[in-house]
Amino acid sequence: KLAMSGVEEISDESVEVKEGEEFDVEAEDHLRDDFLLDPTRYIFYRDRKEWADLEPVPQDDGPNPVVKIAYSEKFSDVYDYFRALLKNDERSERAFALTSEAIELNAANYTVWHYRRVLLQALSKDLREEMRYITAIIEEQPKNYQVWHHRRMVVEWLNDPSEELEFIADILSQDAKNYHAWQHRQWVIQEYKLWDDELDFVENLLEEDVRNNSAWNQRHFVISHTSGFSDAMEREIQYCLYQIKKAPNNESAWNYLKGILQPLGLSAQPGLLERVLELKQTHCSPYLLAFLFDCYEDALENSKENVAEEEQQKTLKKALEICQLLAQEDTIRKEYWLFLGRSLKNKHGKLNNYTFELCVIHPELEII
Amino acid sequence: MAEEESQFEEFEQIDFLRDRHVRFFQRTLQVLPERYASLETTRLTIIFFALSGLDVLDALDVIDRNTMIEWIYSLQVLPTEDQVNLSRCGFRGSSHIGIPYSTKGPGVLHPYDSGHVAMTYTGLCSLLILGDDLSRVNKQACLAGLRALQLEDGSFYAVPEGSENDIRFIYCAASICYMLDDWSGMDIQKAIEYIRGSLSYDNGFGQGAGRESHGGWTYCAIASLCLMGRLEEALSQRELDRIRRWCIMRQQSGFQGRPNKPVDTCYSFWVGATLELLDVFQYTNFDKNRSFILSTQDRLVGGFAKWPDSHPDPLHAYLGLCGLSLIGEPSLRKVHPALNITQRAFQHVQQLQQTWRDSTGSCSRQH
Repeated sequence: KLAMSGVEEISDESVEVKEGEEFDVEAEDHLRDDFLLDPTRYIFYRDRKEWADLEPVPQDDGPNPVVKIAYSEKFSDVYDYFRALLKNDERSERAFALTSEAIELNAANYTVWHYRRVLLQALSKDLREEMRYITAIIEEQPKNYQVWHHRRMVVEWLNDPSEELEFIADILSQDAKNYHAWQHRQWVIQEYKLWDDELDFVENLLEEDVRNNSAWNQRHFVISHTSGFSDAMEREIQYCLYQIKKAPNNESAWNYLKGILQPLGLSAQPGLLERVLELKQTHCSPYLLAFLFDCYEDALENSKENVAEEEQQKTLKKALEICQLLAQEDTIRKEYWLFLGRSLKNKHGKLNNYTFELCVIHPELEII
Repeated sequence: MAEEESQFEEFEQIDFLRDRHVRFFQRTLQVLPERYASLETTRLTIIFFALSGLDVLDALDVIDRNTMIEWIYSLQVLPTEDQVNLSRCGFRGSSHIGIPYSTKGPGVLHPYDSGHVAMTYTGLCSLLILGDDLSRVNKQACLAGLRALQLEDGSFYAVPEGSENDIRFIYCAASICYMLDDWSGMDIQKAIEYIRGSLSYDNGFGQGAGRESHGGWTYCAIASLCLMGRLEEALSQRELDRIRRWCIMRQQSGFQGRPNKPVDTCYSFWVGATLELLDVFQYTNFDKNRSFILSTQDRLVGGFAKWPDSHPDPLHAYLGLCGLSLIGEPSLRKVHPALNITQRAFQHVQQLQQTWRDSTGSCSRQH
């Protein structure tokens, strides 16, 4: 895990306030000799007979520790014994059981997870049971890197993805944009070729929230790996325009439309410009205007030799008008839209003496 | 920005509470309560946030440099006598494995001790910020450890035991090579291929091929290419323009990380720095960006949170400051957008590298 990634859904730094942990039912197993005492009393590992052979290993930060975390006695005790097991590379049931406790205290410790995997294999543990375990942990902590990686390893060992799509769907039902969940889903689908129902899944999610950018991304993922976009292009354009009419201010839909057309060129699609110009009357948005600009720019970039200069300059004029409109409508990006207009003009503008003078004296006028 | 607009906003000016932030980072460097347990294996990154944060605040004088330097060196995974662990060298995130404290070699053989690419990266940054000359860093061991982490597809694992692999660790690797002035630590061409493969249909970068575009991964992609000196070789002008567009559309007030998601303070740096590297940050709205970042400032304990009325944490505190630095907040030092350290620390890196090159030159002349 990388704390610096900083994304709210990816950072492991969510500060979870730990509840008081006075009772440990598991400790019942170790109470044969203490039956007179409260059976739910927690016993430190250092006081457990079955662990007496092991010398606990404390954390050693030297004389001047930095960013020291103040662990409770219970926490330190568990991890002192974890470190002891690690040092000896012990492969045993008691070690495996301890990893569960260590994980409960800190599920972000990737060394504990790695050691647990070593033990899963060394002890030939029941991987189906491990799937149940990791399912429960992910449900509690769905934004932790280590737990998803662990699940992926177990699925690979079992070579059985049959639970994955349903499980991920459940996680997504709690947070439809969980990046880890989507990543795991893409891996499962690609690895085990589970494409068949995914487009339906995506469409259902888009029905629930047409602004779910992750779902739009998944749509692109599925189609590009299955039918491809050539035959599907008209259908996809229709789908986008339909969604845009329902929710005009949806960047995801516009990004998708532009994204699928971009490889061939926005101006290459016959009739598209007209459809968008029509939409401009009733369902305008900064995204629509930016799309128009991009169409005009693409036309200018890809002009064939037989396109008259006059035609070119008309297209340029339309593009610059759009920039002015954007500077008024999408004010937060005003400077950017004006910059875009200037750049386009510098690249494609043809100056006569009159316009040259005006441009020099009044650059803000954006004249052609 | 119109004259009238900024005059009105002056009345709304939220003040930047420098001293609170200094104290926030000071406290971070001392003791954290148990509920921060999930940060144990990444404590070195937390030090980086605090130290670099103090540097941006021009307040490094409040800490004891030597203490910090010693502690960071104690996290170096050094080669054992027989160098059998060379491919596992680098820096640890903390002492959680239980290796006895030591700032010198040789390394201690332990079945589970190895470096972590993000810790090697932030460890080196932190040493440089503190003015250290890296003379106690075993550079060849770090680079060997780094090479062992790169996969066929160009991405990196975090640790040699295996982990998830993606574009974040390419950024860490590029930063390490850049600081050590030695690109033998990675196959640049393969890394570029992975980065290109991560470019989404919507012109942002995902964590890998097919994945949703995202402000953090876009930063990793662009900053890595800049550090490698390959930005214009890897991406065409048209692609760069499209990436600029994706990034600039992230501004809503502050910046969001993905389309249709809420704004979050840290993206003022991730996306802001990307825009700066692409020469178009100047066209963003500084006032709205500043207002948002300051709305996430914790006026009591200092630091910044991802959203207003949320708890501050070291990462958002640091990146909030960097976001303000990008827009020219007066009391803050300038930040190098690709390496994510102050320009002051960056100059130290450059001077250090010059002395390395000079001494290599004089050695070869002697022979």
